[in-house]
Amino acid sequence: MGTAQEAVARRTIRLLIVDDSNIVRRRIERSQQFDELEVVGTAANGLEALELARRTDPDLVTMDLTMPQMDGIECITQLVRFKPAIRILVISALADKATAVEAMERGANGFLNKPFTDRQLNDAIAELMY
Amino acid sequence: MRLSGTDRSRRLLTAGAGIVFAAVMSLVLIIGFRLATEIRASVGALQRASELETYPSVVSEQLTALRERLDTLEYTGHVHAELAGSIRGFNRDLAALERQPGLDPAAMHAAAALWRSYAGVLTPVLAYDGEPYSDTATTSSLSRSGRVFYAHVRRAELFAQTHAAALHRQLATVSASLQAGTAAAAARLRLLLSGGVLAVLLLGLAAAYLQLARSRGERAAREAQEQTRDILATVREGFFLLDADYRIGAVWSQALTHMFARQDFAGLSFEELLRDKVPPETLATATKFIKLLWGERAHENLMKSINPLGQLEVSMDNGRGGKETRYLQFDFHRVMGPKGIKHVLCAVGDITSSVLLSRELHEAQENAHSQLDMMVGMLHSDPLQIGAFLDSASAGLKHINAILKEPARNHAEFSKKLAGLARELHSLKGEASALNLMSIAQRVHHLEDMVAELKGRSELTGNDFLPLVLKLDELLAHLRGVREMTLRLSSLKGGTPAPEGTLSTPILRLGANGPEELASTLHSLARKLAQDHGKDFMLTLNGLADCPRAYLPTVKDCLIQMLRNAAVHGIEPDAVRRAGAKSGTGQVRVDFRRVESGYEMLFEDDGAGLLPEALKEAAVRRNILTPQQAAQLDNRATLALIFKPGFSTRTEVSMDAGRGAGMDVVAKAVYGLGGKIGVSTNPGRYTRFKIALPAASETAVA
Repeated sequence: MGTAQEAVARRTIRLLIVDDSNIVRRRIERSQQFDELEVVGTAANGLEALELARRTDPDLVTMDLTMPQMDGIECITQLVRFKPAIRILVISALADKATAVEAMERGANGFLNKPFTDRQLNDAIAELMY
Repeated sequence: MRLSGTDRSRRLLTAGAGIVFAAVMSLVLIIGFRLATEIRASVGALQRASELETYPSVVSEQLTALRERLDTLEYTGHVHAELAGSIRGFNRDLAALERQPGLDPAAMHAAAALWRSYAGVLTPVLAYDGEPYSDTATTSSLSRSGRVFYAHVRRAELFAQTHAAALHRQLATVSASLQAGTAAAAARLRLLLSGGVLAVLLLGLAAAYLQLARSRGERAAREAQEQTRDILATVREGFFLLDADYRIGAVWSQALTHMFARQDFAGLSFEELLRDKVPPETLATATKFIKLLWGERAHENLMKSINPLGQLEVSMDNGRGGKETRYLQFDFHRVMGPKGIKHVLCAVGDITSSVLLSRELHEAQENAHSQLDMMVGMLHSDPLQIGAFLDSASAGLKHINAILKEPARNHAEFSKKLAGLARELHSLKGEASALNLMSIAQRVHHLEDMVAELKGRSELTGNDFLPLVLKLDELLAHLRGVREMTLRLSSLKGGTPAPEGTLSTPILRLGANGPEELASTLHSLARKLAQDHGKDFMLTLNGLADCPRAYLPTVKDCLIQMLRNAAVHGIEPDAVRRAGAKSGTGQVRVDFRRVESGYEMLFEDDGAGLLPEALKEAAVRRNILTPQQAAQLDNRATLALIFKPGFSTRTEVSMDAGRGAGMDVVAKAVYGLGGKIGVSTNPGRYTRFKIALPAASETAVA
């Protein structure tokens, strides 16, 4: 909780977007409606995401599951290990509930199914951060 | 909780009342005891006082008797002694009475003073100790001391006669005051005892009230319990609470016994509840999910959205020795206590009938849809082509049957069987989708699913193939239906229906009808693939007219397969192409030409090309290679991986690709004709297949 509250206190939430599709990344970037949300980076796979997370110190990560090189589940596992207070919103097209449960078990905090509406995305972020 | 609260206050009340009652009663007893002692003492005093009252007259009478004896010269000794005793007694009793509290002091004082004034006249009488008579032989007379004594007695008698009444009065007053004090003490004691009786009565009332309240509370609790029991016995959902050890609590609803065919739920762990009823992976997921529920981290809504037990397929004993599949819906609600999550309430519903109903509806819809699809597909195809396909399909199915009948004893033989089945089914599907016969293609796709599932098993027996045989029968029936419909359609179109008997014999091999039909088949497949996968590409065919008839079926099979691969793997989506500075429309070219050694066919798409690293990764994932082996492969060997059976880079399976039977079918077909196949690629630019076929005599492949 520490980081999330701190983030709210300093009125800015640093967001890292992880998805292998450029279109989805753009979509998430554009649809967020919180003034205090600042996109600090976008990554196309788990390895990039870890690299960026180390450099940009995000509070919130939107995480795809199926990605080349390093998938979302592995990325979540490692992210949580080196930054336990980070909040992770899984955004995935996988309808498979077992994978969702697995992601939550590894340390994700929220789950959003693709396709999603702007409203659903904002609600999911709000639920995670406030 | 409310119950135990009133229970506790009632207990406190009972204890308080008991203490107050004990205090009151001990006070009553102590005061009562003191009063009783006091009364006893004053009763003694009263007795003494009333005795004292008699003394003045007694003393007076004794003095008179003494004087009369002296008059008649009788013996006076014993009367004198009695008088002395009376006076001693009076002195003693008076002294005792003087010490007694609570009597009228004035009267007492007056009595004592009066008595002391007696002493003056009585002392000479008492002090006399001589012989009062002087006797001669004939007469007796008072002696000299006797005359003095007589005078003293006479004086005392007169004094006593004068004062006895007054002394008596004073003593009576003392006695009356004593009596009044005793009566007051007795009244106080009565009052006290009445108070005690009242207290006892009050206590009795309080006890009765408390008992009533308790029995009312107990009745309410009993009724509440009964109602809970009734609810749990009647409700159709299974309800139970899970504790922090994921174990079921002592209270659960009766519906569970029907759902799980057991009675011993209390203390049962959630895992034990589902074990042997669901596959191990599902059980593992369910267990993980339950653990997550106990974490404060996840919101209830989120947990609801990822609940993997929303529609759980469980396999239950049906009580007749068999198994039956039921669908259960699990809902979870966290029960919060002051210290976080206290329990998880689990509600289970049996949704088997609704699941089956919706499935039936879906199937009916699918059926109607597929029939319509088939009709449309047939209307757009040449009936002759369809006839040819049907023949080729029944030949294929015969082959599949033959493969199924082959004996197999070990895993390797079973695997070989499955590989054969996969190849046959894949090419059947390719042909069906080329002709837009989607209902058939889907059925074959389903069969492929089953084969793929069998491939994944580590152990196989002949019985595992039974469901496959059933599905094949269904497909066969469906093919018969299609044939019938073709006949009706062709008569509708005014064509000559082919006679029933001839249908089993090939009219024409598909595509063998001539290069023109092959071209139109490929173009229509290309259009369909472009549409299905949202890709934009153009198919250019060159020189197919040169293809000898004997090669046409194989060439057709290969081209269908490669076209599908190009559409799915090769040609990139529009956006990607634009980003790579390519023209929006992809190009797929087929060049067939005669060469010295026979024929050569080039198949080229200007798509993404093949990435050696991705191919290696896929091969490792499919267990075709170990990571070490993969690392040692050079580019050429890596590219050759695509001809391996069971290889595919797609992770999901779709109708057109991802099966892992594809290029291996092509390669096998080419080798079958004595040909060769090679591939070259430039990542991001193109993929090119080169197939060399030997010169063929027309009769060789008839």
